[in-house]
Amino acid sequence: MKKSLAARAAIMVAAVLLGLWSFFPIYWMIVSSLRPEKELFGQPELFPRNIDWNFTSYRNLLELTDYPLQFANSICVALVVVLITLVVSVIIAYVVTRFRIPGKTAMIGSMLYAYMFPPLLLAIPLLSIFAKIGFADHLIAVVLAHCTLSIPLGVWMLWGFFKVMPFDLEEAAMVDGCSRAGAFVRVVLPLSLPGIVTVSIFSFLLSWTDYVFSFILVNSDANKTLPVGLASILGSFDARWGELMAGATLITLPLFILFMFLSKYFIKGLAAGAVKG
Amino acid sequence: MKNTEFNRRDVLKTAVAGATLALTGAPAVHAQQKSIRFLNAEPGRESVRVLRVAAAEYEKQTGIKVIIDTVPPDDAFSKTQASIAAGTPYDISTLAFAGHVLLLAEAGKLVPITKLVSKYQWGPRILFPIKGENYWYPYDYNFCWMYYRKDLYKQKGLKVPTTWDQMQENAKILTGDGKFGVSLPLGANAATQWMSLGNMWAEGVSMLDDNFKLILDNAQMKPKVIAYLEYMKKLSPSMPQGMTQALFGTVLGQYSGGQIAHAPYAGRLMEVLEDKAPALVADTGFFMYPDSAGKAQAVNHGYDGWVILNTPMRDESVKFMEWFTDRHYINFLHSAPLHFQPPRMDIYDDPRWRAHPLIEKHADLVAFMKSLLTRNDVIIKSIDTEGPTIDLRPPKMFETFAICDALQNVMIKGMPAPEALEIMSAKYRTVLG
Amino acid sequence: MKSFRTSSDKWLLAAFVACIAFTLILILVPVLHAMHLSLFKSESFVSESKWVGLANYVQVLSEPAFWRAFGIGIVFALLTIALQLVLGIACALLLDQPFFGRPVIRGLAILPYLLPTVVVAVAFQWLLDGSLGLLTIWSEQIGIGRPAWFENPLIAMGVVVVASVWTWTPFVTVSFLAALQTVPKSLYEAARVDCAGPWARFWHITIPMLTPMLVVIILLRSIWMFNKFDIIWLLTKGGPLGATEHLPIMAYRRAFAQYDVGGGAAVATLSFAVLSILIIVYFHFYPLEEKDQRT
Repeated sequence: MKKSLAARAAIMVAAVLLGLWSFFPIYWMIVSSLRPEKELFGQPELFPRNIDWNFTSYRNLLELTDYPLQFANSICVALVVVLITLVVSVIIAYVVTRFRIPGKTAMIGSMLYAYMFPPLLLAIPLLSIFAKIGFADHLIAVVLAHCTLSIPLGVWMLWGFFKVMPFDLEEAAMVDGCSRAGAFVRVVLPLSLPGIVTVSIFSFLLSWTDYVFSFILVNSDANKTLPVGLASILGSFDARWGELMAGATLITLPLFILFMFLSKYFIKGLAAGAVKG
Repeated sequence: MKNTEFNRRDVLKTAVAGATLALTGAPAVHAQQKSIRFLNAEPGRESVRVLRVAAAEYEKQTGIKVIIDTVPPDDAFSKTQASIAAGTPYDISTLAFAGHVLLLAEAGKLVPITKLVSKYQWGPRILFPIKGENYWYPYDYNFCWMYYRKDLYKQKGLKVPTTWDQMQENAKILTGDGKFGVSLPLGANAATQWMSLGNMWAEGVSMLDDNFKLILDNAQMKPKVIAYLEYMKKLSPSMPQGMTQALFGTVLGQYSGGQIAHAPYAGRLMEVLEDKAPALVADTGFFMYPDSAGKAQAVNHGYDGWVILNTPMRDESVKFMEWFTDRHYINFLHSAPLHFQPPRMDIYDDPRWRAHPLIEKHADLVAFMKSLLTRNDVIIKSIDTEGPTIDLRPPKMFETFAICDALQNVMIKGMPAPEALEIMSAKYRTVLG
Repeated sequence: MKSFRTSSDKWLLAAFVACIAFTLILILVPVLHAMHLSLFKSESFVSESKWVGLANYVQVLSEPAFWRAFGIGIVFALLTIALQLVLGIACALLLDQPFFGRPVIRGLAILPYLLPTVVVAVAFQWLLDGSLGLLTIWSEQIGIGRPAWFENPLIAMGVVVVASVWTWTPFVTVSFLAALQTVPKSLYEAARVDCAGPWARFWHITIPMLTPMLVVIILLRSIWMFNKFDIIWLLTKGGPLGATEHLPIMAYRRAFAQYDVGGGAAVATLSFAVLSILIIVYFHFYPLEEKDQRT
C-alpha cells in the first residue's frame, strides 16, 4: 500500500501549490491592510518590513460601523438559517427518495427557480410579502429570504446522498423493530453525515455572505448584517486601498476563526460516512 | 412506541420554531411610539454622527423617534423605490439625481416642500421645480474642477493652463519616473461622467436642444466633440494605467499618494489631504476645466438633497425637516466642510458656517467655490441636467454611459473620433425615443 | 418506492407537505411577480406601469446586444464550470490522499469559498491594480509589460473567469470529497487485487458511484455560473464596452439603472427560460424517478 517516493513527493508539491493558490490573494490582502498607507504606493513587499501597529486603517473603519452588533446579527441569522435548512431539506430529500409522490420532479425542479433570477428582482416582492405579514425590517425576514437560497441547495445535495443509499439497511432496521424515524436516525443519518455537514457549511456561508436580501429587507442600522454594514464603507467616496483591505479582512476574519475552531468537526464529519466494507 | 416517535418529532419542530422566534424576537408589534424613517446616503462618519445627534435631540424635544438608515450613495435610489414598492416607504430620503426626484414626484410619492425652500435664496441650477412646486431640499453642490501641484509647477516653471494645449504640455512634462501628469477615469460609470467631461463642457458642447433632440452630432457640435475626444487621446500617455477601473476614491488615493500631478475632484480632495497627506495641502492649487482656445471654463455639475415622501407621517416629516434645516443644516454641512458646498446663499455669509477651521483656513478655495455660483462666465453642466427643464431623458442618457464607451473606443481601441461619435449618438438616440 | 403506510409515515407526509409549501411559496411568489413585471412598461418600481404584453420581449430579442450578452453568458458559464469541475475533482482526489499537513491544506482549500464576493472582488482588484497591483508589477518585472487587465476584453473575461474559478471551486471540492467518503474502500481493494491502476479505478469505480452527486454538482454549478452576477458586476460592471456583460447584468442595468423595469424583467425571464430548458434536458437524462435498484 505504500506509495512510491515520487508519488508522495508529487502529492506534497500539489498540496503546497493548492495551499498557495487558495491562500495567496487573502494573505496579500491582509498584509496590505497592515502596512502604513503611504507604503502601499511604494515597492510591494511580500513580507512587509513595516507594520502599522496602530492599525489605523482598522480603527478608521471600526469607528464607522457597529461591528460587534452587525457581527452578532450575521451569526444569529446564519445559525437559524442552518437549522431551518437542515430540518426542511432533510425532510424533503428523504421523502422524495423514499416515497412515490406525484409531481415531485416539478416540485423539486421549481425550487431551483430561486437561483435563476437576479436576487434584487426577487427581493422586492419578498419585501412586500414580509411587510404584509409584519416582518419588515426584522431579521426573521432575512432568515426566511436566506432559506429560499439554501433549502434548494440542501434538498438537491441530500437527494444525491440519500439516493445512493440502498433501502435494505433501513428495511433491515425496521424489520428489527425500529420505526421509520428510528431507522432514519440510526442508519441513514450516520451514513449521510458528510452530506449533512456539507449542507450546513454551505447554508451558513450562503447566509453569512449574502448582501442583496439583507440590504433590501432591513431598514434600521440596528438590524444590519456584516456585509451590509461594511458595504456602506466600501462604497463610500473616500475609501482607499488601506481601508478597503482592512474592511475586507474584517468581514472574513471572524469566519476564519470560526472555521479554525470548527474545521476539526467538519473534517471528521466529512470522513464519518466512510463505510467499512 | 410509535406514539412517542412522532411526539418527539413534533416537539423538535416546535422547539425549532420557538428557538427561531426567541433568537430573532417576536414579529414586529407595531411600536406605539411615532417614528420617522430617514434614509441617509452620506456614510461618512461625521455626517452619520450629525444625523444621529440631531435625531436624539428631536426625540428628546418632541418624543418622535427618527430612525436613520445609512446606505452607500449608489444604492439610495434602489432602496427608496424598493421600500415604496413593498409598502414600507421611508419618510425622508436622500437623492443624488434630479431624474429620481422627477420620477418619484410624477408617481405622486413626494410631498411638495415649496414653503420650506422658498424661505431662502439658492444658487443657480440647484432647485429643480416640477410644475412650479419644489419637492427637493438640496444640501450640497459637488462641482468637479481640477487640482494641481503648485510645487511641481514651480519646479518646472509652469503656468496654470487656460487652453488644452497648455494642459497637455503640463501633464506631459510632469509625467515620468513612475509618476503621471493627470488621472481621468474612463470606466462606464458615474465617476467618469463627473470627472472626465469638464473639457467638453468648456468647449461649449451641448447634448440636447430645447426640444430634447440630440444635437451632439450636428454641424456645430460635431467638430467640438471630435476635438475633445482627440484631446483626451493626446492626454492618455500622461495617465496611469487601469483608468477604466478608476472610481472616485482611486483618484483621491493617487493624488494624495503623490502619484499624479493633477486630479479632478471637488472639495473632498482637500479634506482628504488635510486628513491623510497634510504636507500636500499647501502645495495644492485649483483651476477650472479650460477649453481649447482659452476663452471659456467649466465645472461639472454635481449635487445631493433630501426629499420627503408621501407617507402617513408626512406632516411630522415636514416638521422635522423644517426643524432640521433650521438648526442642524450647518452642522450637517460641516461634516464635510469643503465637499458639501452650500447651495443656500445665506450660508456663505453666516458666521456660524464660516467659523469652521477648515473653511477659515481654505478661504481661497471657498471663495473660488462661491465664485462659481456668482460669476456668469462659468459653464456648469452635467449629462443628467441637460435640456431646458428637468426631464427623465437626460438621466436615461446618463445611464447608457455612451460617452464612456466613446472615450474607451478612442483612447484604448484607437477608433477614429468621428466613428466613436456616431456610435455614441446612436446609443443616445435609442433612449431619446 | 413506497407509498405511505404507517401512521408515522403520515406524519412524515404532513411534515413534507408543510416544508414544500413553505419553500415553494417563498420562492414562487417572487418569481411569478418578476415575470409579471415583464409584461408591463415602467420606468421604476414606483412609476405607473403600462400593459404592453409581449412587446418587451419583442424589443429585447431584436437587440443584438441581447444576443451578445447571451453568448457571453454561455462562454463564461462553460469556461468556469469546466475549470471548476476539473480542478475541484482533482483537488478532492488530492485531499483524499493522506499526507503530512492534510488538515491545514483542507482548511486552506476551502478558504476562497468563505469569502463574500465583495471581498474577492476587492482582493483581485488590488492584485490587478493598473499601477500598484502586485501581479501588474510582477508582469512588468518579467518583461511582458503591464497587461491591460480590465481594458482588453479577452483579458477582462479571463480575469473574471479566474476569479470565479478561484472562489467557487471549493464547492466542487468539498462536495466531491464528501461523496468520496461514501464509496466503500472494499471496492478499491478488490480492484487493486485485480491489478487495476489508479486511472482505471477512478473511471470504473469512483465516477460511476458518484454519478448522482456529480450530476447534482454540475446542475447546480451550471445554474449558478450562468446566473452569477456579483463577481462580474463588482470587477468589471460588464465592461470593457460590454465584453463581460451577460444576461443577469443586462437585466439588472435595465431594471435598476436604465429606467426600464419591464425590459429588465423580460431579460431576466428569458435567462430563466434558458435555464429551465437546461433543467428539462437534465431531467430527461437523469430523472428523479428511477427504476428501483436493489444492490
